[in-house]
Amino acid sequence: MGDVQGSVPNEVGVDMGEMTKNSKAASVTFDNVTKVYGKTVTAVDNISIRVDPGKLVTLLGPSGCGKTTTLRMIAGLEMATKGRILIGDTDVTTLPATDRDVSMVFQSYALFPHMTVLENVSYGLKYSGFAKDETRSRALEGLQLVGLKGYDDRLPSELSGGQQQRVAVARALVLEPQVLLFDEPLSNLDAKLRRQVRQDIRDIQQNLGLTVVYVTHDQEEALAVSDRIIVMRNAGVAQEGSPRDLYEAPVDRFVADFIGEANLIPCVIESVTAQIATISVGGIKHQLDARDLPAGSALIAVRPGRVRLTAEAGENVIAAKISKATYVGNHMEYIVEAAFGAVFAMSDDVVNPFLTGQDVGLGFAESGPVLLPGE
Amino acid sequence: MKRFSLAVVSALTALATTASTGAAAEKVTLYCSAQEDWCQVMARGFEEETGIKVNMTRKSSGETFAQIKAESANPKGDVWWGGTGDPHLQAAEEGLTEPYVTPMRGELNDWAISQATSAGDKTIGIYSGALGYGYNKDLLAAAGLPEPKCWADLTKPEFKGHVQMANPNSSGTAYTTLATIMQLFGEDKGFDFMKALHVNINQYTKSGSAPIKAAARGETTVGIVFMHDAVKQAVKGFPITVVAPCEGTGYEIGSMSIILGSRNLENAQKFYDWALTADVQSMALQVNAFQVPSNKGAETSPSAPDLASIKLIDYDFKLYGSSAERRRLLKKWDEDVSVLPQ
Amino acid sequence: MIFWIVVGWVSFLVLPWYGVEDGLFAFEWLFDGYPWDADYAPAAFLIAQGEKLWLTPLILPLVAVLFCLGRVKSDPVYAKILILTGAAGFCWVFMQGFGIGLRGWQFEWLEALFGPLGDRQFGMGFGAMLLSSAFLFLFTQGIAARGAINGDVFVVSTIGLVIAIVTIFVFFPIAKMLVAAFVTEDGNYSITVFASKFFDDRIWGLSCLTGGPRCGVAWNSLFLAVVVGFLSTALGLVFALVVTRSNFRFKRNLRALTVLPIITPPFVIGLALILMFGQSGAVTKFVADLLDMQPSRWLYGLPGLMIAQTLAFTPIAFLVLIGVVEGVSPSMEEAAQTLRAGRWQVFRTVSLPLMRPGLANAFLLGFIESMADFGNPLVLGGNYDVLSTDIFFAIVGAQYDQGRAAVLAMVLLTFTLGAFYAQRFWLGNKSYTSVSGKGDSGVHPLMPRRLAIPVYVLAAVWASFTVIIYLMIVYGSFVELWGVNNTLTFKHYFTAFSFSFVEDGIRWTGSAWDSFWTTLKIATIAAPLTASLGLVTAYLLTRQTFVGKNAFEFGTMLSFAIPGTVIGVSYILAFNVPPLELTGTGIILVISFIFRNMPVGVRAGIASMSQLDKSLDEASLTLGANSWQTFQRVILPLLRPAILAALVYSFVRAMTAISAVIFLVSAQYNMATAYIIGRVENNDYGLAIAYSTTLIVVMLTAVGILQLLVGRINIGRRSGLGSK
Repeated sequence: MGDVQGSVPNEVGVDMGEMTKNSKAASVTFDNVTKVYGKTVTAVDNISIRVDPGKLVTLLGPSGCGKTTTLRMIAGLEMATKGRILIGDTDVTTLPATDRDVSMVFQSYALFPHMTVLENVSYGLKYSGFAKDETRSRALEGLQLVGLKGYDDRLPSELSGGQQQRVAVARALVLEPQVLLFDEPLSNLDAKLRRQVRQDIRDIQQNLGLTVVYVTHDQEEALAVSDRIIVMRNAGVAQEGSPRDLYEAPVDRFVADFIGEANLIPCVIESVTAQIATISVGGIKHQLDARDLPAGSALIAVRPGRVRLTAEAGENVIAAKISKATYVGNHMEYIVEAAFGAVFAMSDDVVNPFLTGQDVGLGFAESGPVLLPGE
Repeated sequence: MKRFSLAVVSALTALATTASTGAAAEKVTLYCSAQEDWCQVMARGFEEETGIKVNMTRKSSGETFAQIKAESANPKGDVWWGGTGDPHLQAAEEGLTEPYVTPMRGELNDWAISQATSAGDKTIGIYSGALGYGYNKDLLAAAGLPEPKCWADLTKPEFKGHVQMANPNSSGTAYTTLATIMQLFGEDKGFDFMKALHVNINQYTKSGSAPIKAAARGETTVGIVFMHDAVKQAVKGFPITVVAPCEGTGYEIGSMSIILGSRNLENAQKFYDWALTADVQSMALQVNAFQVPSNKGAETSPSAPDLASIKLIDYDFKLYGSSAERRRLLKKWDEDVSVLPQ
Repeated sequence: MIFWIVVGWVSFLVLPWYGVEDGLFAFEWLFDGYPWDADYAPAAFLIAQGEKLWLTPLILPLVAVLFCLGRVKSDPVYAKILILTGAAGFCWVFMQGFGIGLRGWQFEWLEALFGPLGDRQFGMGFGAMLLSSAFLFLFTQGIAARGAINGDVFVVSTIGLVIAIVTIFVFFPIAKMLVAAFVTEDGNYSITVFASKFFDDRIWGLSCLTGGPRCGVAWNSLFLAVVVGFLSTALGLVFALVVTRSNFRFKRNLRALTVLPIITPPFVIGLALILMFGQSGAVTKFVADLLDMQPSRWLYGLPGLMIAQTLAFTPIAFLVLIGVVEGVSPSMEEAAQTLRAGRWQVFRTVSLPLMRPGLANAFLLGFIESMADFGNPLVLGGNYDVLSTDIFFAIVGAQYDQGRAAVLAMVLLTFTLGAFYAQRFWLGNKSYTSVSGKGDSGVHPLMPRRLAIPVYVLAAVWASFTVIIYLMIVYGSFVELWGVNNTLTFKHYFTAFSFSFVEDGIRWTGSAWDSFWTTLKIATIAAPLTASLGLVTAYLLTRQTFVGKNAFEFGTMLSFAIPGTVIGVSYILAFNVPPLELTGTGIILVISFIFRNMPVGVRAGIASMSQLDKSLDEASLTLGANSWQTFQRVILPLLRPAILAALVYSFVRAMTAISAVIFLVSAQYNMATAYIIGRVENNDYGLAIAYSTTLIVVMLTAVGILQLLVGRINIGRRSGLGSK
């Protein structure tokens, strides 16, 4: 994919002069929305969410959690069974897709195979009532924006996967919609390309001030591009917040486990004073934010990078043993066996790594662990 | 179209609804069940002579009957000319046609008028043709068969697989054959004959004249049909010999009826009278139609079978044309004859 | 919405309510007593004069609908008004139409209820028809406003329209015909009459298995249809493979050749077969001389029917399959090849299964066509009776037994229904989507050798057979008397198509011109209507979900499944009397063609559309195009092969159909095939075949023109762009 442009994150920003900040960017509000397929299958169960104008919000969750249905309801491709949907201040609940000022980038790109790249990009403009010249200049501008200048007369089948993807983005973008939707747009691209394209999308979004709703099941992607993330599970919202909130303060073990990896270790809250809990885990004491939990058994979630390993046992460390050590270039990965089970840990020290079988002391970083309700 | 004037309509609004069925003076719709070119000659001839426009549709008599029946609530046709007499009789019986006594009766043969009286003047004979069969000379010689002369010859074992006739369930011609055999031999012997014939039949065709066409093309040796149909194939140049069976035979009366509820009744009657004149009936010669015309003064083709020299039975059109008898005979034929092995 | 309100008022106030006798396109009425003459008066004027007072209630919904002006779409009252007024108006137009006919009240109970009427009415005209469509569309807009089908007005209206016309022109006449199955001789209704006719041994007898003379017609038809369905699908696939997946040089010629039988008027193939293989046929004689046997009549019956029908229906299978075979995504085949499957394995495990929708559709069409075929059994059937001809002769034969015809039609319908569901079952719920929104850059692989050799042999044999048959036909039109006198002559063409130049232009003196021009005109009108209705229906069936979709799909297949003869008679029964008085017009011919041939458009459309990824439609919708624009700009261009198939098929069938036509032709509207049948009945084969040959040439030209007009789609390298 050597033809990919925009590998320097800001390169796309150079052409931004023509397109001004999108004054149309609108909020999206879901008001107790439920979607039932047929009679029994509830795809979305009574959710209420809000996407602020000019923000990029990601719907994240495992397959079947209802995130794509939610997206399609914003687009008007599915109609809510119950509840209200608003774009800006307008109630669009019963409005068909055609009449909503929303455009969407499909997972399969859905480029019209019988039209050239330019015709594809002009398609929506034509139906939005733009004059011929205007349509053409806006379409060309859109192509330039995604770095595909000069590809106007190609058919989609003559483009690489990454180029097709960017045509799909351009096609949606040129309409300057109130809301732009992405349905797993990167899933057909290779890893390196994925990183570049997601950065491009984020740059365009920020530069143009677009409201974007983005669906993915890749948590890394979600963390990288989002202003806010909505984690969905079983047709409902599991947690909503900024990437940092979700990563550092997951509300339950589902979110903790889904956003980045987390070691979930059983513990006991011994006392809570002024919202600081003192817990006992693996025989040591640790103090952290109580998050409104009462005394009793609970879990702590610890990210692998927040596990501290020391060469010898000492005060406030748990005795453990390295059962596997893996060198992955810029850091080390360890599986550590302790009394309460295996813990996954990472360490930046690649110069003097621990060896498999070595006895170590296990502790937690000051701000790392988070308390979760127990089972 | 001539229409009531505005003044009349506004004065008599209540009567105005009749306007759409008001007769148009100068057209007539003809359903024709004879051969296409004969129908054309009739239609054009009438137009030229009277200036009345003829809308002509040509269909077989069975199809025309079905159409008239289907259209009975709102008839579209005026005159039905040609085709074998049975469906005309049946139409009369079912009240689909209208009685009319033509001034031309004095010029007609007796059989034509008896056809009319048996149907309460609702139909009339326009031509007649005797039943018989034709054989393909070449095939007969190739198979080394003797020349057949009588009905009985066709039941001989050496004719096995050589005879074709239509299915009496689907063809008026074949039903006439069945009725003729009943009248010739009596019902019991008649059915014995049909059973013996059944053994020799290679195919019961759907349409009445198909057997002689198959014989003409060499697809069967013998075809049981009306003799004028066989003559036509011979005249065209096919190697067909026409046979008038020695035991005697029945005949059909091609008929004409006026459809009940005709929208152009006056013109229909005009056509009716015209079609029975000698000159018009002589036009059959132009189109190789070899039936015998009903007008005594009309010319007959020299190739046409001479009814005087054929032993004709006194065919009981009233009995054998009735629905009940027809159904009874066909049922019996279906159950006793058609299921036998061949 | 406002548009339809205006249409409603205009049709009520301005247009003549009843049918004008001179046809819809004669405008004499404008100058002849309009608007006061009761024949031409609009409904409002009739009521004003105190006539036809039963039309008065129509004012209510027309006024009521005005209340939704000025309301917004999302207002529930808006939807409610539209639904109520639309439904009420539509129902009333039809209820009064059926309730009051030519002779006053149509039903005795109505007379009992209201007393004798003393008035009557004729068929619906412009006013009545437009008003009912206005009500229909107001109703559908109401439904859409309530949020049905994502609130899509185009889709809801289309569904409403298609359901309405399929009900009027398919269900209604067929129901009328089938009721006849329960009618006794004296006009009453009875189940026992039906039962005795239904369980007749002539229909269900199985004695042929135990050495008896023959089996029931039902079994005969079924067996023939299954065999022909398989043979024509297999041969259609063979040709489709040769055309798309081989380096065979004369692909184009082969393509034209496979289309030949479909543009051949009925009887012609049968006659040609008889001349070659009949008892006195050239081939039979030659073989008999060679083996020193008596020439036999082997052709008549099952063998002849099988050959003739397979010849006739393979092209239909080919037309359906070619789109599907081309549509199988090459990248899937390439993927399989890279997974170490040999070419044969790829074909067997990937290509063939992906063609399943096409194969199933081709089989279904072959099966149904064979069931309904009329011309071939008439000429070649021998003693092998089949349902379609039996139905015909039950109606027009010596017994005039409409009840039996109706029973046989029911049996036929049952088989068709069975085939339809068997096809459904076989296809199951698997996805056959293969053209997705991603550009496809693959190229179809060539056929595996194991397959190629038998395919080439089969295609070659069948192609040369077809060529010989057609040479015979052309030859037959130039000889004096086919089979007897083989002197070459142009006389048949002169008789049919002579013309002379006179001062004011050309005078068409030949006897065939009349029917020729009528046929051409009607086919040209019917073809685009048929194709569009078929494709729109296919779009609704594949892309939309709505209540009663299965019944709807079956309804569209129904008219195709019932033989033309039954359609012909049922159309006369249904449309000879008000409210829809259509017999004797050209319109009834056009309508019968539309509904007879639409199913091919539907099948071809469904087969191609199920290969188009749904995200293409959705992308278009989210880009601001509405569903009509999406259909027009995205779906249609990708459906070009299906459009071509539908257009060609409906045009050609309109020119060559016979069985329904024979009941519906009238003096002014005589069709070529009815003329030809007259000639065949008269043993005038020369003229019949000369006319047929001319028709074949005309249709070939038309197909060529259509191909140019519709063009080809460009969706990837396999369409020839890769060579750039």
